[in-house]
Amino acid sequence: MDWKCCWSRNEITADECIGVAAGEESLLHAQRRRITEKCLDCPRFRDDMERAAAEGNPLAELAAHLRGEYLAQREQLQSIAGFLDTQTREITFLHELSLVLQTSMDLDEVLSVALTAITAGKGFGMNRAFLLMVDKDRRYLQGYLGVGPRNAEEAWHTWQEIDHSNLSLREMATHFHRNKLATERMKFREVLDNLVVFLNDEDHIFNRAMRSRKAMLVEDAFTNPDLDPELAVLLGVDRFLLMPLISGNRRIGLIIADNCITHKPITPHDMQSMEIFAFPVAFALVRASLYERLQEEVQKLTAANAKLREQQELIVRMEKMALMGKITSSIAHSIRNPLLVIGGFARSLLRNVGGDDPKRVSLESIVSEAKQLERVLEEVLNYSDSLYPVRDWWDVTQLVDYVCQELAEPLAQHRIRCDFIPEERIPHAFVDYKQTTYCVRTVLHTAMARSREGGTIRIALRHEGDWITLEIADNGPSMSDAERDALLMPFATTQQLGGSVGMPLCRVMLEKQGCALEIDKPPGGGALFLIHLPAIQEEV
Amino acid sequence: MTRILVVDDEANIRLLYSQELADEGYEVVTAASAAEATEKLRENDFQLMVLDIKLKNESGLDLLKEVVKERQQMPVILCSAFSYYKEDFSAWLADSYVVKSSDLQELKDEIRHVLAKRAPRPQSGA
Repeated sequence: MDWKCCWSRNEITADECIGVAAGEESLLHAQRRRITEKCLDCPRFRDDMERAAAEGNPLAELAAHLRGEYLAQREQLQSIAGFLDTQTREITFLHELSLVLQTSMDLDEVLSVALTAITAGKGFGMNRAFLLMVDKDRRYLQGYLGVGPRNAEEAWHTWQEIDHSNLSLREMATHFHRNKLATERMKFREVLDNLVVFLNDEDHIFNRAMRSRKAMLVEDAFTNPDLDPELAVLLGVDRFLLMPLISGNRRIGLIIADNCITHKPITPHDMQSMEIFAFPVAFALVRASLYERLQEEVQKLTAANAKLREQQELIVRMEKMALMGKITSSIAHSIRNPLLVIGGFARSLLRNVGGDDPKRVSLESIVSEAKQLERVLEEVLNYSDSLYPVRDWWDVTQLVDYVCQELAEPLAQHRIRCDFIPEERIPHAFVDYKQTTYCVRTVLHTAMARSREGGTIRIALRHEGDWITLEIADNGPSMSDAERDALLMPFATTQQLGGSVGMPLCRVMLEKQGCALEIDKPPGGGALFLIHLPAIQEEV
Repeated sequence: MTRILVVDDEANIRLLYSQELADEGYEVVTAASAAEATEKLRENDFQLMVLDIKLKNESGLDLLKEVVKERQQMPVILCSAFSYYKEDFSAWLADSYVVKSSDLQELKDEIRHVLAKRAPRPQSGA
């Protein structure tokens, strides 16, 4: 018989078969493959079989039966292969997702991954998703984040963009987290703010979904008697999926997903996949939340530790100062009596010595030096006397004004101007008046000693929050860090000012009162002395 | 003449005070300890006492308490190298408190002031 189809020939040329296309030339020499892949679907083969049947060939009927069976089997095989392909893609996706979720500790990153997975075509391909989270006090469920387009135009634009970008799930989630999270939050703010359900509202569909611990499909939302109609209006869709996020027995949150743009049906298979996906998401959310809280606690502990260290340093410094105070006090008292005797007798002798007596100069020197030593002793003793301040409410503006007036004469002698500009309505400060006056006087003295003749000392008084700050700025030379530190150390000598306890004493006095003394170095030169005084009463 | 008792454990200070106050026209008697002061107080009448607080192994404040109890008419000026005794309640029993200094002017002024305060008021001529 003259067969029209090439099925009976071992080898053929390209023009002998209408089924073999370019690129499939290997089939020209492979008869068995050519039969199953091409001939069984070829009209020439069907003609050959029909002609053979018509001529009474008994094998023709068998061949037709085998062909039918084969095609049916092949179709089934293709369907299974398609199913397997889908499953493989889903497993790959879930694997990728779980890897991301396992490695991320950032709550927002986890949420970005989760919601991207639900809405991306490479993931579950839903149009839109909202995440609701249980609050810290576990009282209610509240809208936290929404992802998806608001309308068809936005959807088309976004999906086009995603198609062209060809990003992996992780890359998409990272992009979303970095660039879109804040705007998406704002975009759905109104919806999210209204998605609030108390956990004790047991009849609410969200709580029912969480109790069931399974994905729940809500249909006919606008007419569903089990549903608050306002919820359907808020979401603007008739059909949506509720996916509870539960970790162990702990309710974490809920995902609402819908196809608000495409209105594609949500299949049982979609729901099953979402259930598989929900577990790692819930777990990752718990872990990220715990990590966030842990970070908060670590930050608190770090701050407490820093504060403790600061307090320790302060105590050590105070102890050193107190010890130094005791020593200096003891030495000072031992010196005071002999000094009194020397100076006292010198004065006594001086009174009885005539103006032209050569001894007068020597006696005057003794008196003057004794007086100077007594002044130093007074400072030293003040240093150790500064232990127990008596605090009350005082008008600092008046206090500073008083000190300025007191020093008017020496300032005028050195041709130094003193500008005092207090802010209006400075409240009273809770300080020891005597000690604070001493400190302001000493700082002003220091500024005066540093100032150039003809210069200006600027004094300002500012109030901010719980503090009043007195600023005293001189126009003296710039100060090195070492000089600044030396100025606050008892008996440390600075080039300009010599050794003194005045400023260190001020610091101790102010710290004892809960105040502070700082020395700043303004960029334009000079020194800026800052005295911070409390405008509120507190325990010290 | 106004008689003043100076109590101080430092001999040089006693000498200085004696000379300076004598120059001011007072009769000055000195004592180096609380016991000696008590004895002197028994022997003589004094119009004023200048009392140091730290007396070797004694406290001038204890002597002050006794004096205030037994001789209420006699004013006492505490004279100490320590300014912080001003805050001590016991020190408040004294009529005045002076911190020691080589310049005795403040002490002299206080003596005058205290004596003037304690002096009997002149009787009005009724």
